[in-house]
Amino acid sequence: MESHGVARSIRARTEEQRLQDLEKIKAYRNLENQILSQSASGTYNFALFQLTTELLHLNPEYYTIWNIRRRCLISDLLFRQPCELSPSGASLSTSPNATKERPLDASLPSPSDPIPLYHRFPIAGKNSAGLVASTALADPQRSDIQYQAPNSEGRESDGKVLRSELAFTLSAMDPGIGHPSTAGSDCTGDMGNGTQPSVQDAYQGRTQLPAWGYRRFIVAKLESPELQGKSMAEDEYAYTTKIIGFNLSNFSAWHYRSQLIVRLLDRRGGGDRMRAAFLDEELSVVRRALNVGPDDQSLWYYHQFLVSQISEYGDGHTIAPALTVDERAAYLRHEIEEINDLLEDYGDIKWIYEGLLECTLALKQLEQRAERGGGIFDVKTWLVKLQALDPMRSGRWSDLERRVRD
Amino acid sequence: MESLGDTLWDVVICGTDLQQSLLALSLSRSGKKILHIDPNGYYGGTEAAFSLQEAESWVTDVAASVAAATNGTCPWRSASICKPEAAATEGQRAATGLSFPRAYSLALAPQIIHTRSDLLSQLVSSCAYRQIEFLAVGSFYIFKASAPAQASKEMGKPTLSRIPATREDVFSTTAITAKAKRGLMKFLKFVMDYDSPPQTESWGRYADVPLTEFVQMEFKMDNELQTYIVTLTLSLDGRISTKDGLAVIHRHLTSMGVFGSGFAAVYPKWGGLSEIAQVACRAAAVGGAVYMLGTDIKTMQESSDTHDANLVMSVELSSGDTIKTRMLVRASVQDHSTTGDGVSGAMGISRLVTVIDTPLKSLFAAVVEGSPTPAVAVIAFPVGSVTTATGKVSENPVYVFAHSSDTGECPVGQSVLYFTTLSTPDSKEILMQAMDSLLTAIAAEEHAPRSLFQLHYEQARGATNSQTQGLIFDFPSPSLSLSFDDSSLESVRQAWSRITDESVAEMEYMTFPDREGAMSDEDEMYT
Repeated sequence: MESHGVARSIRARTEEQRLQDLEKIKAYRNLENQILSQSASGTYNFALFQLTTELLHLNPEYYTIWNIRRRCLISDLLFRQPCELSPSGASLSTSPNATKERPLDASLPSPSDPIPLYHRFPIAGKNSAGLVASTALADPQRSDIQYQAPNSEGRESDGKVLRSELAFTLSAMDPGIGHPSTAGSDCTGDMGNGTQPSVQDAYQGRTQLPAWGYRRFIVAKLESPELQGKSMAEDEYAYTTKIIGFNLSNFSAWHYRSQLIVRLLDRRGGGDRMRAAFLDEELSVVRRALNVGPDDQSLWYYHQFLVSQISEYGDGHTIAPALTVDERAAYLRHEIEEINDLLEDYGDIKWIYEGLLECTLALKQLEQRAERGGGIFDVKTWLVKLQALDPMRSGRWSDLERRVRD
Repeated sequence: MESLGDTLWDVVICGTDLQQSLLALSLSRSGKKILHIDPNGYYGGTEAAFSLQEAESWVTDVAASVAAATNGTCPWRSASICKPEAAATEGQRAATGLSFPRAYSLALAPQIIHTRSDLLSQLVSSCAYRQIEFLAVGSFYIFKASAPAQASKEMGKPTLSRIPATREDVFSTTAITAKAKRGLMKFLKFVMDYDSPPQTESWGRYADVPLTEFVQMEFKMDNELQTYIVTLTLSLDGRISTKDGLAVIHRHLTSMGVFGSGFAAVYPKWGGLSEIAQVACRAAAVGGAVYMLGTDIKTMQESSDTHDANLVMSVELSSGDTIKTRMLVRASVQDHSTTGDGVSGAMGISRLVTVIDTPLKSLFAAVVEGSPTPAVAVIAFPVGSVTTATGKVSENPVYVFAHSSDTGECPVGQSVLYFTTLSTPDSKEILMQAMDSLLTAIAAEEHAPRSLFQLHYEQARGATNSQTQGLIFDFPSPSLSLSFDDSSLESVRQAWSRITDESVAEMEYMTFPDREGAMSDEDEMYT
């Protein structure tokens, strides 16, 4: 992990720096307490929403804060009565009481923006995400509230809010993203405050789980009949491709992808040939990833998902339901061959052996169901290797052995 | 006001080259009396950055001293401006498309600085970094001369192929086979832990053997992958040893992502190392150091100070002042045609600096979406990939640093290319050919780029170690390494130790608090 290797270059922190750090910690704790106490009192409003923006920039892993943010959206900021919106609410701008702006973002940073060296020493939990100003409705407490015309305007601004929230999750997932020169393509909302690409020392270890959950909530809302009324599966699928390109180890991205696929294929409406082609492509992508990251569990998870799509058939809700048993068997054999190739260079990675055995098992089940027979491959060798590489799970491997042999 | 001669200086530093300037920075809070002079009328010395006019003067000076054979103690073996031709009139020059001379800041030292470099840590701990804008160094490319197209007899176009440096890079690239990717991944993983067992046993016996042999034998890498690996080391002769090569690649890989995703090195805006030298001098000046440009040492001798039992140097300056100092620090005065131990044929480089009339945008695309737009791209011509019209083939790699106008070194809409190769009788011709080939390779994406300005020079490296003689400390000759060589910092520290009282802790070297009022808005609560 890269972050473990970051050298401390300041050999002795001066007293001054120690005090500075204490101040930062105090500020963080204050913010946290503020949010939690207001949430406990049940007052979900715009001000609280703004506070969550701040805290999530510092720590995007804080699940509770994402939940609070969601509650703010639901109870206060979305689907509000149109008459409570001020005239400028429909065209979103950053809140006038936005917190102290991040430096260097008064205007969109030019491409020659300097890299901030002072971000070298992130505080634990500190987020280095680029600041995507989460645009929000104008403060409903403002006195110049006027009556608005029909619901559609309210919906439109809701849509903008939600889309800018999408961009917000994007920036929380990868600190490199959110740079205004590229993020514009991702979000149609206002991004008046520029973004600040900054350190990703802490990035490598993040799970981003809360951000993904929040994103799914946003997407669901956007897809609802009151808003766009149509599926965002295509966009979201493309989004997962992008995130995976930044970091193959992103389990959430692969998982989300697996959930989108079936819906995506339904929407694309193609026939069996298209579906089979899609399956080929997905297998190829994950295999290319495994080729460079054979020890990555997220990748094996996705591979296993695809294999199950091949081997478990019959209820129609799979990627390519029209594949015949023979075709499925052929796929599985091909997979076993391909994964076997990995052993040429990665002889000591247990996941490969496990993957091979799982595929063999799947093949066996497939063929048993169809009452066909098949070869046993090199099962014995794989099992022996697995036992050697991971002796602590020998019970599990024995179990696997039994299932394969039966 | 005290005249210069009235003060007993603690140190007189001659030359505002990077090493001397870093020394001044290191002493900037010490309260020592520092007189910092430079024979040139500009800061930066061997690491200076020039406007076009300054470049012309410099070329004239170098040419003159070469002709008079008085350039032995300076690194420059030759210098010339090949374009525009000297005889060009103002009108002709204006027609070339060159902007006014001060719109350019051509760096004599375009070294890239890896993010793990100690230089950066020291700039941070001394707070000098605040004055410097660092830009990202983006992709490394390999120039591929094309094979003749199958269908026709014509040569296909040459291309630039990006070198993958992270796992995700390797995943995305389509230029390498699956098997080769596995080999590359294994090697990258190996390098990350190269200095602990069992890896040390693997490469131990190859330590002094070229890295290319090691990766071929132990990782079964083909020529193409070997080229990738060697290019990452920026090895000038392509034959860097396994020991050194692994260290350099390790530094490159661990430098990835330290200050942001997608880049492993940075480059100071406004002229590279010259900017660091200037900032260092400025810091020293704020701390009380006295600066005099256009001032050289005429004579010097040791004498005894009237107030003090210690010896002092009595130095006569070209300004007419005679001063006394406890210590004198200078650039190396050794003959640059020999190495430190008197061995002749010291290593040298041949460099071509050229201004191009297009922004070369395709070279500066950010690899990771959202990461900082790079201002520098690195292109390597592997051994044998440059063939001149007269049939000469390159025996050493040629490296190109491409700089966009974001570096401040040229106006918007133009770019600067720095070509470097080991100095040989044919090197200038090879560099010119490399320039033509590169411009051809880029031509398809943008309208055919033209070279507007060409400066060529040769730089040698003499003494590789510092020298101390009595009260005089001489820095080594500047390193020719294309990536900043941290070993240069050693001499600075040595000089600092000699000047500083023993009571000052080693740990405090280059570690200062911010000066009052120096805190910028960037130091917000939440950063």
